[in-house]
This record gives sequence, C-alpha cells and structure tokens, in this order.
Amino acid sequence: TRRAMAAEGSVQVALQVAQALETIVSGCVGPEGRQVLCTKPTGEVLLSRDGGRLLAALHLEHPLARVMVACVSSHLRKTGDGAKTFIIFLCHLLRGLHAATDKEKDSLISKHSHTHGRHWKTCCRWKFISQALLTFQTQVLDRVVDECLSRHFLSIFSSSTKGRRLCRSSFQLLLEAYFGGRVGRNNHSFISQLMCDYFFQCMACESGCEEVSELVDDCFVELNIGVTGLPVSDSRIVAGLVLHRDFSVYCPADGDIRIAFVTETIQPLFSTSGSEFILNSEAQFQTSQFWIMEKTKAIMKSLQSQNVKLLLSSVKQPDLVIYYAGLNGLSVVECLSSEEISLIQRIIGLSPFVLPQASSQYEISSTALVKFCKPLILRSKRYVHLGLISTCSFIPHCMVLCGPVQGLVEQHEGALHGAFKMLRQLFKDLDLSYTTQTSGQNYTSSPLIYKNRESNQLPEIVSGSIQRPPQGTVEKNEGELAKTHTYLKVHSNLVVPSVGSETCISCSTPKVTPADIHQTDETRRCLSANKTRIIDDRDSFIESDPTTESTEENTRVEASYENLSITKMAGKGSLLPVRCKLLEMRASRSYSFSSIPAGCVLPVGGNFEILLHYYLLNYVKKCQQSEATMVGMIIANALLGIPRILYKSKKGNQSFPLVYVRALQALQTNQPMGSSQTGLESVSGKYQLLTSVLQCLAKILTIDLVISIKRQPQEIYDQESEEEL
Amino acid sequence: MSRLEAKKPSLCKSEPLTSERVRATLSVLKGIVASCYGPSGRLKQLHNGLGGSVCTTSQSSALLANLSVTHPILKILTTSVQNHVSCFSDCGLFTAILCCNLIENVQRLDLTPTTLIKLNKHLLSLCTSYLKSEVCGCRIPVDFSSTQILLCLVRSVLTSKPACMLTRKEVDHISTLILRAFLLTIPENAGDHISLGNSIIVPLKGQRVVDSTVLPGILIEVSEIRLMKILPIKKSDSLKVALFRVSLSGDLSDTGEGSVVVSYGVSLENAVLDQLLNLGRQLVSDHVDLVLCQKVIHPSLKQFLGVHRVLAIDRVGAALMEPLSKVTGTQPIGSLGSISPSSYGSVKDLCTAKFGFKWFFHLIPNKATVCSLLLCNRNGTAWDELKLTCQTALHVLQLTIKEPCVLLGGGCTETHLAAYIRHKTFNDPESILKDSGCTSTELQLITEAFCTALESLTGSLEHDGGEILTDMKYGHFWSVQADSPSIVNWPDLLTRCGCGLHNSREELNWSFLRTSRHPFAPLPCLPHEAVGSANNLTLDCFTAKLSGLQVAVETANLILDLSYVIEDKN
Repeated sequence: TRRAMAAEGSVQVALQVAQALETIVSGCVGPEGRQVLCTKPTGEVLLSRDGGRLLAALHLEHPLARVMVACVSSHLRKTGDGAKTFIIFLCHLLRGLHAATDKEKDSLISKHSHTHGRHWKTCCRWKFISQALLTFQTQVLDRVVDECLSRHFLSIFSSSTKGRRLCRSSFQLLLEAYFGGRVGRNNHSFISQLMCDYFFQCMACESGCEEVSELVDDCFVELNIGVTGLPVSDSRIVAGLVLHRDFSVYCPADGDIRIAFVTETIQPLFSTSGSEFILNSEAQFQTSQFWIMEKTKAIMKSLQSQNVKLLLSSVKQPDLVIYYAGLNGLSVVECLSSEEISLIQRIIGLSPFVLPQASSQYEISSTALVKFCKPLILRSKRYVHLGLISTCSFIPHCMVLCGPVQGLVEQHEGALHGAFKMLRQLFKDLDLSYTTQTSGQNYTSSPLIYKNRESNQLPEIVSGSIQRPPQGTVEKNEGELAKTHTYLKVHSNLVVPSVGSETCISCSTPKVTPADIHQTDETRRCLSANKTRIIDDRDSFIESDPTTESTEENTRVEASYENLSITKMAGKGSLLPVRCKLLEMRASRSYSFSSIPAGCVLPVGGNFEILLHYYLLNYVKKCQQSEATMVGMIIANALLGIPRILYKSKKGNQSFPLVYVRALQALQTNQPMGSSQTGLESVSGKYQLLTSVLQCLAKILTIDLVISIKRQPQEIYDQESEEEL
Repeated sequence: MSRLEAKKPSLCKSEPLTSERVRATLSVLKGIVASCYGPSGRLKQLHNGLGGSVCTTSQSSALLANLSVTHPILKILTTSVQNHVSCFSDCGLFTAILCCNLIENVQRLDLTPTTLIKLNKHLLSLCTSYLKSEVCGCRIPVDFSSTQILLCLVRSVLTSKPACMLTRKEVDHISTLILRAFLLTIPENAGDHISLGNSIIVPLKGQRVVDSTVLPGILIEVSEIRLMKILPIKKSDSLKVALFRVSLSGDLSDTGEGSVVVSYGVSLENAVLDQLLNLGRQLVSDHVDLVLCQKVIHPSLKQFLGVHRVLAIDRVGAALMEPLSKVTGTQPIGSLGSISPSSYGSVKDLCTAKFGFKWFFHLIPNKATVCSLLLCNRNGTAWDELKLTCQTALHVLQLTIKEPCVLLGGGCTETHLAAYIRHKTFNDPESILKDSGCTSTELQLITEAFCTALESLTGSLEHDGGEILTDMKYGHFWSVQADSPSIVNWPDLLTRCGCGLHNSREELNWSFLRTSRHPFAPLPCLPHEAVGSANNLTLDCFTAKLSGLQVAVETANLILDLSYVIEDKN
C-alpha cells in the first residue's frame, strides 16, 4: 500500500534528501571550500559559503528536507556555526543507519508477511532507534566528552593568577579557522585579522570579553557599515560609533561636547493625542503660535547653556527646532531607530530627557560627554560619527566593510555576526546532562555486579550491560521494546522531539504492572490489552533502564522500574539484590553536573571528530548492549565523514587514511596528536552541533507518515487560558 | 490576513563557469564593453524599441545601467563595475574588460580554483605595491603649480568618450572650463581640513559647445515674465539675503495628534496671512534685499515684498539649498516668527543673464567655493554624455588632489605593468612560491594568463584592425595602422607611444604584443624635464585605475570561486 511504502522508505528517503544537500554543502566546507552564488527573487545576488543561508535559499519542497533545514536554522540561531557540518554529519549517520539495518530487514520481512503489520513494525523499530540515539547522547556521549575528551581540551584563555585572560594568539587561530570556512579564500585572513583587531579594540578590560561578544552580537547591524565599490582591503575599523544617517543640521564644535536625546518633538504642538484644542479667536491663534515659538526657543537656549552640542532625536523634529538648533550651535540627528537608541543607552547609560510641561526652567539632567561629533563621509555618503565615552566594558568601535559588490559585503557581515555568536557561546560554560559522582562509595557498594568483570573505565554503563539477561533476543522484542521505551521516556519528562501522528498513546503502552503507583489514566486504559506478555517484556525493560538511570531527574522512571523488577522476581530471583544495591547506591551518591568549561577549544582539521570517534569505539568495544553498540558504531563512523572531506584534496602524507592512522597511534600510546593545520575551534560549538544533529535524526526517524494537507496546519492555542478569561 | 503562497524551489547549478551558455554570455558582454573602450571606441545605441528615448553612449555607467543582465554571474560582474564607477566615476570599462579577460584566460588553465585565486591575488599585490612604490615607472607626480598635467588628465577623460561628439577645439574649450570650474571650488585659505565646494552643472541643450561657460556663484533659472520685476537697488557693496527652509505659503502644518476645533467666525487664513505679513515687515525693516524660499511664498507676501523692492524667489528646491546656504552664508530659516539677524547672509551682486533661450538670476558671491558650469551641446543624448563626462572629469580631479599623482594612459601603464610582472615572476619566483605552496609551472601559467589579460585589454584600444606593439625598453604601448607593409622600418611607421611620452626616434626595439618575448625589466623612464615639456600626454587617474585593477581581480577571483549558483525562481 501507499502508506506502507511511504513509511518503509523514510530512512532511505531521508538519506537521499540528505545526500542531495550534502553534495551542495560539501563543496563549501573547510578552508578549501568554494563560494555559492544565490539570487534573490528581487534580482539581487548574494555570495555565500554560509550553510544556513544556502539551505534557506534552496526553498526545498520535500518535507523531510524542510525538517532538516528547520533543524539547521534553529541550531544556527543558537550557535551561529556548523550548518554545513550538520548536513554532512546527518548524511553519514543516515548512511550508517541504512547500512546497519539493511541486513536485519530481510529477516523481519520474512517473519511478518502482512504489509500493514510490517509497516508498523518498521516504524516502531525506527522509533526505538531514535530513542536509543537520544539516550545514547545524554548518557554515553556526554560521559565520553566529559571523561575522555576533556583531557585533550585547550583553552582560549591564558591561565594567570588574575583570573582568565583572553589569549590573543589562540583567539587569532580560532578566528582564522572560523573564517576559513565562512568567507572566500582570498579574504579570509584579512577578515579574521580585522575581527581580531576589532574585538581587542572594543574590549575595555581583559575580563570583558563575554560582555563585548554579547553586545556586538545583539547590536551587530548598528555597529557596521557596508560600502560597495571599494576593494575588500579598504575595510577598516573606526573608533567611536557611526550612525547610519546624516546630521539634519551640523555645527562644528570641539572641546567639551555634551549630548542629550529626546523621544518627542521639542516644539510643543497645538494638541496632543486624545485632546482637543479649541480656537476661539485669531488673536488666540497668534498668541499660541508665539508661545510655541518662544518655548521652543527657550528650550534650545537652555540646552545650549548646558553645553549640549548634539541633540539626538528618535522622531523627526519640526523646521523650527532645526532652525533654533542651528542658531544655538547645536547639531541635530533625527529619526534614530530604536535599536540605535538602545545601543547608545547601553554604551553610555543615558536616558532621554523629558520636557517639563509648566516650568520656565529647562534644566536637563541627563546629558553625557562625548569626545567628538563629526560627519564621516564614506563613498560620498555622509554618516554621523560620535566619540562616545563608554560606561561599560565595551569601547565603541565600528567596522567599515568594503567590497566590490553588495553580495560580498553581506557575506562578510554575516560571517562576522556568526563569529560573534560563536564567541558568545564559547565564553559560556556548557552544561552536560551527564552527572559525575562526588563520592567514591558507589564502587564499593556494588561488588556483586563487578566481581566477574575486568577493570572498566565506564563502570556505570557496564553495570547496565551486565544486567542484560542471557536469554531472550533483542530483535524479537524490538517492537514492544520501542513502545515501552517511549512510554518511559514520555513520562519521565525527558526532552523528546514531537513525534507527529504517532505518539505513545496511539501506539499504546501496555505491559506495566498494576503495582506501579505512577501510572496515568492512559496506561491504565491500555493495561487490559496485553497483560499476558509482561514476562516477555521484562527483558526489554531492563534493557532500556541502564541508559536512563544515571540522570537525576529520572526518578519516575526508576520508580516504575523498581516496581517492575520486584514483580518479576519470580522469573529471575537474582535481579532483586542487584536492584536493591543500585537503589542504595543512588541514595548514597551526591551528584554534580559536568560541563564543558568556557573557552575550550581543539585544533581544527577533524581533531574533535577523530578523538570522539576513538573514544566511542573504545566504549563500544567494552559495551555488550547490541543497540548501544550499533548506535555507538554508527555515530563513531559518521564522525569521520567530516575530516574525510577536509582532507579530500590533500595528497601523500596528508591524505586522510594516513592522518587517521597517525592520530590513532598517537592516542593509543598517549602521545599528543599532531595536527597539520593551525587553527582552533570551539568545543562547545562542536558538541552542540553533535547533539543538534542527533536530535534532528531522532525527529526524522520518529516520523512514520507524511500527510499532505491542503490548508495550513492550524495553530494549537492554549485553550485553558482562554476559558479562564 | 496575509496571503501565503507556496515558494517555488530554487534552481541549483553546479560549476557554473564550465557551462557553455555562461561562457558565451560572458564573451558577448566582453565584446560589448571592449568595443567601447578608448578614444576610437564604437558607440552603442540603447533603446527600448517602443519609442522611448535613445541613449547613445560608450561609457560604462550609462551602458551598464541600461543593459538588463539576467545571468547571476554577469550580474555580479556588472554590479561590481557599476559600484566601482559610482565610487570613482572613471575606469569602468577598464575594470569590466580586465575582469572578463582574466576569467576567460584563467579558466582555460586546468588548475584548481585555490591555486588560481591564490596566485591571482599574489600578482595583484605585486601590481599594487609596484604602482604605489617610488620606483614605479608609469606614475607621474602632479605638480599643482602648473595646470599642464591636470589639463592633460581632463583632456584624456574627454577624448576617451567619443559619444560626446566633440571636435578637437571643443575638447580644448571644455577641458579648460572643467579645470577652471574645479579650481573655483577650492577654498582660498584652507586649514587642516579642506572641504571642496560644488560645481553645479546647468543644462543648456541645443547650443554650440563653445558657448559653454563657467561662472562663479549660482544661476537660478526663471521665466522671462518674472524678470520684469525691478531688481533691488544696491544700497551698499552687497545685498542682504534671507533663505527660508520653511514654507511661506500660509499652510498650517503639524498641529499635533489631537484635533483643532476652530470656532465659527474665526478665520485661520487671515491669522496666518497676518503672521506672514508681519514677517514681511520684519524682513523689510531688517533691510533684506533678497528673499529665497525652498518652498512656496504666498502671493500676498510676494506682492508686499515687491512693493518694498525686495526680490522674492520661491520654489528653489531642496537640491539648491546647500549651495545657496554656502554662497550666501545664511542659516536656512525655519521660523515664521522672530528671525535672528545672524541668520541673514549676503551676496556681492545679483544680475540677470540670458544664455541661449533661457533667463537666469545670477547670484554673484563675495567669496564662496560654488560655481556654475553652463554646459552646452547640440542635442540631448550628446549633452547627457557630455554631462556624465564632465562629472567624471571633475571627480577625477578631486581624486587627484587627494592622491597627487597620475598614471600614464593610452595603454602604456598596462603593457608596462605586464612587462614588470613577467620580469618579476621570471627572476624571483621563489618569493611568491614560498608562501603560496604552488609549483613554478603553475606560477608561470597564471602569470602568462594575468599578463595577457592586461595586454589584450590594451588591444581593445585598437578598433580599426591595426597592430599593437610594445617596445623592449620601457614596455610602452605602440599601435600601427592596419595594412602597413609587412617588412618595415618601425621608427618610420610609428610616431609616439600610447601615452605620448616617447617617440619612435629613441632607438627602441619593438615586438608584437601577441608574440612571446623574453622577460625584461621595463625602465622607469621619467626624466622630469621630459614630462614637463610633453604637453600632449594621455593620462589616467591613479586612484580610480588602482582601485579598478583591484576590483577587477577581486571580482574575477570571486567568480572563479563559485561552485554553485542557486537561483531563486520566486
């Protein structure tokens, strides 16, 4: 049937889609990557190596492709980097998954000849794998990153006694690598140098790097000016703030220059909103006019007397105000955008002055000193150039970005903005969901489990695999396992991507004993369905448990599990002591969350990928759970896809296989990994990318049907709140 | 409710440069721009076939602005050139042809884009550092104590635009005018910060070119009837001027967001008119002789002022406000009430003048850097072209003030530069190879492609089937007429090189540009006395050409780097 076919092909289709995207994207990856030219419907042309932009420009029709692009763009919004790697990695994962499941499929088909049944079987199977991916990410991956990978981390900060200081040379290497993948080959070193200079010039003190990266990221548009028609090498940094408009009136001034800003017209108007002005006589009109004039004059005079030389206004001021400003030696800049105003407020902490309604004294409290205020002419266009005196750790500077065409200028702007986003992430700690135990008791409290094991680096994970009973094959119970698993996941409040038409409810989650006090209505309803299979399913419960048990918030899963294992005592008595031991252990432990500290970097050229690949393989070797092994293997192998592309054009000694072998040898003998490329990349960025991809893949796998509808899907409103009203 | 429409998927093409269609369109574009290049360039007539205006031109700015280019790659190229022209006015065709040549030459080579781009960039930096260096053999410093070089520069700009249809005499006339107009915009006593004034080009179509003239101050066109009004009597050595930004028509604008209720019997019109007449009285009592207004002046006020022998000119327009404020030294007035005496300005004199069929008020300034260039040409299209050319020439002069040197024109800079690059990469390839990681063969190939691009650019100067030669001493450009005898004594056939610096009697060796030569170091050939005496040099703007060179190579690199083109079909 059609439905069956649609579902059957889901991984295969996803793979095809991902491969199509990969071919486009892989041409732009890394320092050797090339440019893509995009045209907009308006006829503008845009140059880009930015994966996110390319994917958006494609306007893909295929629903799965759109899911992928949506995942990429949400990832980009967060981190500002990694769109191309995202697609490549996703493609490799799908490829691995496809290859791994191909073999098993045959046996599955022979067992279930009914196509409809087979369809659901496959769906459940994909869903199971998708859950396994997520659990693998939160449990194994985080652990491997924290325990194994972290010893290879370098830091962008140079350690000193006075706290952390940004190390300029490392910073430069980081930027060079970043721009190597984002702007054209002939400009990347220039742009990265520009960015590096800019960052250090803006930073008031060594500790201000986090604040600077945040502010520039937020106000990026206001802090740079694009100029077309000049060679890129004419780009430069100007000290001070450049406003994207001209003076309405300019009076040269020097010395003690103060600025003030208003958000309303200075000239009083006849009537304000909501009021009525009644004119009874011509004389009244003339007096009012006169009064308005005199008042405007007085305000401008008082501004001048307080040494205000520049008036910034968010609204257009009447001619009268401009005239008196000119007479009193005040320069005026009108129609500032709210973004510009908030940026100025952020830098100098100045608030707008409010016009006094009645008093004849116009004492303006909020003025600020500026170093200079002059016009700046770039390509015969005039801008306002202000030497603001900063009160925060950001010293205002602007970037003038030149390029022969607008498309190139925009590319550089986009890359620079992305770089600030990346830095913003880098300067923050990234929490991992994996927790480390601070007490050592756990190892001694469970001697029972480990007694017939060799020494292990990953005790907790392995302890999970021990509990796997020898009887009962995984393949047999896969479908049920997936269902049960989903149930557990959903009710344990873990982050699970929405699963489209197929939710845990429609799939039914039976097989839970009445002893479970945490049951919800849904499960109770389903209970009657197949009570008989409880005994068969316990294996799968045990299977799924070890991978989730170590997260602290999973108490609910644990609780239900606990109940289950007790009821299963009859079948397998030996399990009870183990369970109890585990519970004791948990009680005695205190958990602390692990994290990737701020500023962690690794050399570029696939270092992160090869390292993680190596450690994942190590883990997989010791792991006996078949699905964890499978997922681990797939992820580990997919990781190599990226360095493979990076080294594609290299020959001889620098070809990928040789680099790979050398790296593995170095790791096995505990020697430092040599890298042929200089440059650093953010670990947290890479790690976030990895998790985003796994989540995206999990999302794709859980979709079993794509239903085409004629109208837009209706938004689901929060009905409760409306009812309350 | 917003209407949502499904977006069509985009069209994605890989390796765009290898496509035959792209190559063909590129070569068509190159054909168009190359045939326009130089003094003997062919003109292009642009029209829409529906009876719209016809544009006859050979200038890149007019040509590219009217040409509708559809292919994204060509769009990149043309916008790049247009952006360059809007920055520097000059060297647009140079940039366009060089860029096309580079792409064409370089993509023939079977090298990776990385190598191409890297080496192109290296060669470009060789060029720019040579052109900026003191030893540069194709650069002449500008001596501002004499007008000779500046005049040569302006004349070169004029002669390179054949669509202006100027005779030799007219070229001389116009170039003197342009130089004079430019000199009038330079302030007499300049401090640290020089700000140049404006020269306003006033159109006068249908007149003889030699009737063109330059006047200090501003010309305001008026209808004949208004001239019947009596001019103000000069009471002192200057006339007092008031310049209004605000409308004097008596309209009541901006009463606020609320509503204004006017009681029965109250006439706002009268109130406002009263106000205007009060203003008029103040102007009269302040002894203002001339009232200028950006917007409209109420007829009653105009009449009132006329009665008091104050001349009122309204509807001046926003464009003239800044120069008017500069010429008269006024503060544009934005008030209908009390006017501060400090906002009045003055002009030395005011007179009426008739040029062609048009009447003008001529505001003669006391001391200001504003002048009017009355430009005449026989017909509309030729005038448009001449106006563009004059703007280019004025801009080129401004750029030359900032960077006081000029480059040799007539193709000599390009051939000289090519000879220099060939020599440099032949004798010292290590310096380039060491930090680029390329092989010497690759370098040789790219150098050849780069230099040929420069040389065939100069080849575009020749449109009549003549041959191009270069001498083996200075590396200058020489052209020889078509159908010249095959075995000849070159000095008899050649007269002067492209820029006019050398003549054929200097015992030089020549070689055809298209044949291969042994690399040689072109001599920096400038004994300064020779430069001083040569008053017929062809010169190019240094800043514009340097930037054009950079933009051309950068754009070519950009296009060579493209691996995909994604066309949004929405």
